[in-house]
Amino acid sequence: MRPLIQLTIANIRSFARDRAAMFWTLAFPLIFILMFGAIFTGGGSATRTFAWVDLDGSAASASLRTSFAGLENVELTDEAEADALAAMREGDVRAVLIVPDGYGAALAAAGDAPRPPVTITVYTDPTQQNQTADTFRFVDTVLGRVNLEVSGRGPAVVPEVRAVQTESLTFISYLVPSILGMALMQLGVFAAIPLVADREKLILKRLSATPLRRWQLVGSNVLMRLLIAIGQTVIIIAVGALVFDVQISGSVPLVAGLVILGSLAFISLGYVIAAFARTEDAANGMTSVVQFPLMFLSGTFFPIDSMPEVLKGVARVLPLTYLADGLRQVMVGGTPFAPLWVCVAVLAGFLILCFAIAARFFRWT
Amino acid sequence: MVGAPTASGTGLAIRVRDLRKTYGQTHAVDGISFEVRAGEVFGLLGPNGAGKTTTVEILEGLRASDAGEATVLDIDANRSPEALKPRIGVALQTASLYPKLTVTEVLDLFRSFYDRHGHSTGELIERFDLGEKRNSQTRELSGGQRQRLAVALALVNDPELVFLDEPTTGLDPAARRSLWDVVLDLRRQGRTILLTTHYMEEAEVLCDRLAIMDHGRILESGTVKELVGRHFHDRAVRFDRIDGLADAPLAALAGVSSVAHENGEVVLYTRDVPGTIEGLLAAAEAAGSEPENLTIRRPTLEDVFLALTGRALRD
Repeated sequence: MRPLIQLTIANIRSFARDRAAMFWTLAFPLIFILMFGAIFTGGGSATRTFAWVDLDGSAASASLRTSFAGLENVELTDEAEADALAAMREGDVRAVLIVPDGYGAALAAAGDAPRPPVTITVYTDPTQQNQTADTFRFVDTVLGRVNLEVSGRGPAVVPEVRAVQTESLTFISYLVPSILGMALMQLGVFAAIPLVADREKLILKRLSATPLRRWQLVGSNVLMRLLIAIGQTVIIIAVGALVFDVQISGSVPLVAGLVILGSLAFISLGYVIAAFARTEDAANGMTSVVQFPLMFLSGTFFPIDSMPEVLKGVARVLPLTYLADGLRQVMVGGTPFAPLWVCVAVLAGFLILCFAIAARFFRWT
Repeated sequence: MVGAPTASGTGLAIRVRDLRKTYGQTHAVDGISFEVRAGEVFGLLGPNGAGKTTTVEILEGLRASDAGEATVLDIDANRSPEALKPRIGVALQTASLYPKLTVTEVLDLFRSFYDRHGHSTGELIERFDLGEKRNSQTRELSGGQRQRLAVALALVNDPELVFLDEPTTGLDPAARRSLWDVVLDLRRQGRTILLTTHYMEEAEVLCDRLAIMDHGRILESGTVKELVGRHFHDRAVRFDRIDGLADAPLAALAGVSSVAHENGEVVLYTRDVPGTIEGLLAAAEAAGSEPENLTIRRPTLEDVFLALTGRALRD
């Protein structure tokens, strides 16, 4: 056991002192999460800004303003009408709400006799369908309340809101397991590079002149990568949870099991590369050739269902598809691409296949 | 501290009989035989590609031979390399060090591979003059320091037999001297060493006995004195090549046993120096010239190699 542990420590030291390896395995996935997270959560469910144009200036219009301002995720900016429309054209505000002169008086007189309703003008951009619908929802909510108050009756029906987790994921909760899968893939595939470098520098040959056994050598490499994989998993989940509030719903043993299975599968792919790459440069080139299609065609950034048919076919045969899909299923739910057992079976099969190829073709010297 | 002489009474650390190894059409090792006695420094001397490294790697248990006997410390190196490895120390031709580990870390790592330990890591660092570099990563070491570390790594298990493959190749003269001191120190302790080299001087300084290897065969073996004495009761007469003077008439001169060429010089090995020079002067005059830079000297190991192979041994 002592040689295995010492060699694992030596591998971790070498890894930690290799800036390129540290960047690709630890910084790169985090950069992806932070970058995409920032882009796609910025406009999503965050604050809507409406321009508020009050031409009335009565107590009633001020009260209406308070009702709007009190809504969650709504922010009002007080503007003159011309400025408000200019701000909207600039994209600074999502809609312009104009309270007409005489709003307060009309409201006060409303109970007396039937008369046409007073008009609140709402400017929206019809090309932005979602935003427009969203704006109308807020306006309807507030005006409905005002109408009820004026008519002097309480509400006849009220909703009681309960939460049910839907199958559709927010982009960031889709992204976090995907990036974890990508990071584990890279960690595994990159196993080829130091291995080939060690062979090229005759370190493997030197080790084989000692009583160290080959299983200890391979075991220490795998052990070191598994430890790093666990570290990566913790960091990525923590950043997802702390920065983007991504809740992990799955069981820890299930997540850990998939992380380990996925890591082993891609480490063995790294050994396959090491079996065919003669030089460190060749290993570098081959890892790039392998990792980029995996990264972009396995549904890492966009659901496979939204990809064109041809690429869907490609995604179906890439092992990372099944690791990322499996991780999403056990971490955040969502619509599965394939049943979990299929994901596990594909990864296990891929692991066995790569192991067999590496065992057949890998040369120690 | 030092590994005891072994080979159950035979006093032999290594016995090689008719060893062969072929790569495709190339006979890398072509039926060689030699013995290394416990406690001696034995050298395999030969040019690059002579088959020295292949031979050593078979004896280290790193390669299987095709045929022949390779008995090391009474163990069949082909059949039981795992029994052999704990008892030998190895420094490969290239230093083969983890580039991002420090000197101390590499030594500690290699110690962890063995049950038996000799000197502590600290003692090895002191002894191999690596104290200033103990916390430096190995990629920052000079060529000489790397080689000293490689030899130190070969000693972590206090081995009975040490293999040093071209330990000074590529080193500057000062670094080479410093490594020689290390090997001479090991020799004084009575440790058995098999070293390969293509430097004559190195073989002369370090080895008790040696074998000259070329094209996968051993041409001669013995002590430096024996090798020189066996071939040369004679002296070497050297002079610059003379145009129009062929080898044949030179070989026919009085006392000449062989003719060789080296760096534009002709070397005549002769038992009869006055007779040879007299004949040479006459032959040169007949060719319309006279021998320039004429020297006469006692033959060296270099001459033995030259006489055996017709080639000079150079880097």
